[in-house]
Amino acid sequence: MAKLDRLGWADGMSFTAYGVRVGVRVNDAAILRELIARLPPGSQSSSAHRVDHLYSLTGFPTNSNGKVRRFNLGYWNLLRFSRSQSFDNLLDEFESHVQLTVAEYATRRVFVHAGVVGWNGRAILIPGASYSGKTTLVEHLIRAGATYYSDEYAVLDERGRVHPYARPLGIRMSETARATKIRAEEFGAQVGSKPLPIDLVISTGFKAGARWRPRKLTRGKGVLELLAHTVSARSQPELALSVLPKALESARIVKGVRGEASEIVELILT
Amino acid sequence: MKTNHRQQKPLARKEGLVIKELPDELLIYDTETDRAHCLNETAAFVWQRCDGRKSLAEITRELSRKATAKLDDKIVWLALDQLSRNRLLIDPAPPPTRQGINRRDMVRALGLTAAVAVPVVASIVAPRPAEAASCLPGGAQCGASVQCCSNLCNDGVCAST
Repeated sequence: MAKLDRLGWADGMSFTAYGVRVGVRVNDAAILRELIARLPPGSQSSSAHRVDHLYSLTGFPTNSNGKVRRFNLGYWNLLRFSRSQSFDNLLDEFESHVQLTVAEYATRRVFVHAGVVGWNGRAILIPGASYSGKTTLVEHLIRAGATYYSDEYAVLDERGRVHPYARPLGIRMSETARATKIRAEEFGAQVGSKPLPIDLVISTGFKAGARWRPRKLTRGKGVLELLAHTVSARSQPELALSVLPKALESARIVKGVRGEASEIVELILT
Repeated sequence: MKTNHRQQKPLARKEGLVIKELPDELLIYDTETDRAHCLNETAAFVWQRCDGRKSLAEITRELSRKATAKLDDKIVWLALDQLSRNRLLIDPAPPPTRQGINRRDMVRALGLTAAVAVPVVASIVAPRPAEAASCLPGGAQCGASVQCCSNLCNDGVCAST
């Protein structure tokens, strides 16, 4: 850390998100504004001098210095997580890294990689890996009138309720393309503000031409489905095994491949 | 010398496990292997009685009492086999499946018994944190390995998983 500390840091800040204290320092004060826009939803600025995690970023927003190639660098504590000639890459990587850090180290919340919408005062969860079609399904559900909660994490509290994590949806135009961020309001959707109990968990993935014939899962197997996408599963298994069964206490859990999202939206919402 | 399997006294492993009981199932997280298991009612019943004192025959009797039907030892063997494969028993004895008794025959034999569910242990490997977050697929442009599902960003392109 001493080597990093010796670099000249122009500005810094600290914030708290879900009980995790994070510090950020930058080589250029102008960068800080861009970073603030990319903090996890629910982050609150803090005056704490001691933090659990420290990000150090050297970025060059206008990297047009002739032949000199200046890399944009990002460190999480002592570990370099980003090295890129593109400043936008640095911002993207900071955003996903800091979200993951908060998700892993939050002590009273369990973060499950899932899309979430609200419907009739209860939540519908769609856990799944990247490229399983979570965001597409969430987009169709909110277009059909569901309330937007998240397209990235289901944030579960100790009572098993889902809290909103309403960052803009990351819509991908093709499989290898980077996600374009679109706010839920642009789809005409409302954004949730209150925690909800879970009504339905849909473990699914897209398969062209597939018919939606899901099978019901038991609560225990439902917990495994969520645990397979839980960020802190390895680091805090006690918390996960305390929260996830509670979250599924009165939930229906189904699993199966689906075809086009538009074909199943009505079935889900009825 | 031939072992009397019915007198074997299996012992459940307890160290390094996080256990959560549900009404009809048992969830177990193994902190040594980072695997999570869901035992159905029958598998959970057997595992909870593997205390190193009860013999296979006694466990079968207790399970029969619970099911109010006379059950075959094979159902307990099938449970022990799965528990053993998932490292949930200490020093498990080799079950009949490894001694020439076909697993399919076992299930077929159990199929005749509707009084109790076939023991099932469902398992998953718990994800590493980055595996439980959005990542880029093989072929996508990347700036750092952490962005890629494969965890390898090679010349600005994610390697395939």
